[in-house]
Amino acid sequence: MNKQIDNIPKKPISFRTNTIPTWCPGCFNFQILAGTEQFLKSQLEKNPRKEWAMVSGIGCHGKMFDYLNLPGLNALHGRSIPVALGMKVAKPDLNLLVYCGDGDAYAEGMEHLVHAARYNSNFKLLVHNNQVFALTIAEPSPVTELGYKDKTNPAGVKLQPMNPIKLMLASGASFVARVFADVNQIKQVLEEAEKHKGFAFIEVLQPCVIFHPDSNYRLRVYNLQEKGHDKSNFKLAMEKAEEFDYTSNNSKIPLGIFYQKEKFVFENLI
Amino acid sequence: MKVTIIFGGKAGQGPNLLSEVVSRGLLGAGYYVFYSREYESLIRGGHNYNILTFSDKPVYSNESQIDLLVCLDNNTKSIHKNQLKKSGIIIEGDKGNMFYAGSVFKILGLTLESLEQVLKKLDKYEELFDETKAGYNFEKRKIALEKTKNRFFNDELINGSQAIAKAAISSGLEFYYAYPMTPATPLMMELGQMQMNKNNKHKVIELESEIAVINASLGSRGVGSIAMIGSSGGGFDLMTEALSLAGMAEIPLVIYLAQRPGPSTGLPTYTGQGDLNLALYSGHGEFSRVVVAPGDLCESLEKTNECFTLSEKFGVPCILLGDKHLGESKSLVLEKPSINKVEKNKIWPAKFNSYEHDYNGIVTEDVKMINQKFEARMKKQKNIELEVSKLETYKILGNRNSKNVILFWGSVKGAVTDAVKDFGIDAKLVQILYLEPFPEKIKTELKDAKNIIIVENNSTSPLSNLITQKTQIKIEDKNKILKYDGRPFFSDLLAQEIKRRLK
Repeated sequence: MNKQIDNIPKKPISFRTNTIPTWCPGCFNFQILAGTEQFLKSQLEKNPRKEWAMVSGIGCHGKMFDYLNLPGLNALHGRSIPVALGMKVAKPDLNLLVYCGDGDAYAEGMEHLVHAARYNSNFKLLVHNNQVFALTIAEPSPVTELGYKDKTNPAGVKLQPMNPIKLMLASGASFVARVFADVNQIKQVLEEAEKHKGFAFIEVLQPCVIFHPDSNYRLRVYNLQEKGHDKSNFKLAMEKAEEFDYTSNNSKIPLGIFYQKEKFVFENLI
Repeated sequence: MKVTIIFGGKAGQGPNLLSEVVSRGLLGAGYYVFYSREYESLIRGGHNYNILTFSDKPVYSNESQIDLLVCLDNNTKSIHKNQLKKSGIIIEGDKGNMFYAGSVFKILGLTLESLEQVLKKLDKYEELFDETKAGYNFEKRKIALEKTKNRFFNDELINGSQAIAKAAISSGLEFYYAYPMTPATPLMMELGQMQMNKNNKHKVIELESEIAVINASLGSRGVGSIAMIGSSGGGFDLMTEALSLAGMAEIPLVIYLAQRPGPSTGLPTYTGQGDLNLALYSGHGEFSRVVVAPGDLCESLEKTNECFTLSEKFGVPCILLGDKHLGESKSLVLEKPSINKVEKNKIWPAKFNSYEHDYNGIVTEDVKMINQKFEARMKKQKNIELEVSKLETYKILGNRNSKNVILFWGSVKGAVTDAVKDFGIDAKLVQILYLEPFPEKIKTELKDAKNIIIVENNSTSPLSNLITQKTQIKIEDKNKILKYDGRPFFSDLLAQEIKRRLK
């Protein structure tokens, strides 16, 4: 069994392990890692007694587990969510960060994602959505755009991608957000999610610098909150979710919190 | 003296409650009782029945020939009348199950007062006594029973599922995760009901799939709560990727695998022993596991407890291998089980990893570290083998000096022991309790045998293969007594089969 580590950190603290990241140079996962670190540091200043843990899946995002100095489980592909649920049920006070890729959350582990919205267990889920299976070298995922080509499908993707924001809204998620893979956006959305009691779904639009580079996402994004979006309005949230279909290369891409409404929390019902 | 009764009817007519009422009456009069149930995969209608065998001596199985046939519908008579002995009695008519409870009490010479007491204990007195009394007074026939002086201190009839539930709670169970699947569901129901007792701290949680179930249990145990999961073959199949994760992450895990005949959906509501190899070999990669198969109620209590102890001590998945017959047949627990306090292993907080990882739980691809971790797992296997060898890994029953050996595992135990005891068979019975780690020293019990017979509720006899693999002793095909129709063995028919092989 593995060596125990202290997850109630004492100052001075680094939330990073000594492991040197093996992500590609310029990988947007560095942004998500740094954003998480900054969030944890600010949390530590606010409340040094909080106990933190993490769960991750399999894919490039899963390497977060080796770099973040938090206890937890680097789970099977697609299975981070039920592991997280089991942790919260057993230890409701645990502050839990859960990381998935688009393969984990939208393909192999889809059933758990839908049910996570139903259970509304109090943890934060970040889906590193780079719209491609990067670690297995560029195969399309369920959110890859129409026409995308790789070695496994030279004729190009013929299916429309799914829209995870709509799926989460329809499934009853109590906190639905999308951010771009940027340090400040990650930190800010985690701070918003921290105030939310329940399941926080956060999709992180993340270009893959090798297999799915950012064409023009950064030119197209805008922030819902800056535009005065009413996040308590479900119908409006659905409309906003439809603005970007994960395929078009000219539509606007809304970021921020689409929808937020607290409801019962699974572990408090048990 | 041994008497067998079949209570049959449509699902919803209540043959199960009828068996329970009669069984309790018989217990009160000092008779040992064993009853199994057969039901179809439907909710109302069809043909359900219970077989009750009782005796003035301990009884662990049913016989095929019956003394009394209680028909709650016409179908029951046509299906079972050929099992009736010449002197057998049929109860039939258009009355309800409780009317016939009265009739059966009268036929067996049980008193009306004892019937009253049984109904009171079941909280059914007010609504049902008048009907049962009418049945009692109406009935005039009789089966003369030998008197018995037996008095039981414990009058609680339980099934294997209830035994496992009790032992799991005594072992410190905090969470039971499951997705409904027959015949594992009775354990889920039992643990669900036992949540109502304020002294019990465990919670039963139903999740969206068996995959969620096993991963959630690893999450719960990872952060420090003792968890158990259960399913039958198909659901267990879905769990096997995470079974391998438990092997890699070394998180304690107890799995109840309740067998029913496959392949595929197979026969959902019947019994079988077709999943031995599934329990032994499922999951990718090389990792340790424990597979233990109780054969009766006392063993269900003890082996469940041992699963928790071993999984905690070694961070190893322990599979409790049962089946529908063990899980749903009821009798008394006649021995006092030995249940030990489970020492919870403090493993949290730590990093657990599905990848090969170093001692800090961080992914490694380093040759030296990989070798160290494989060697650590091999050493752990040796430690588990050593620890298990201190437990009761097999049992020798019957005549220890006999040159005839009967080998078996799991729930066929009841029929095998009754066949040998009640039909005058000279044999040494070897019951394998631990299938993994396998007690290789049983070779000494087999090497002088003239005949080795194997009894299994399956068609390919996986135990024979395992015995050959571990002891180099080959079991002849003609000595394999195999039953794969989804029904348990009857002791009388099994005795005939054994005798035929010993000629």
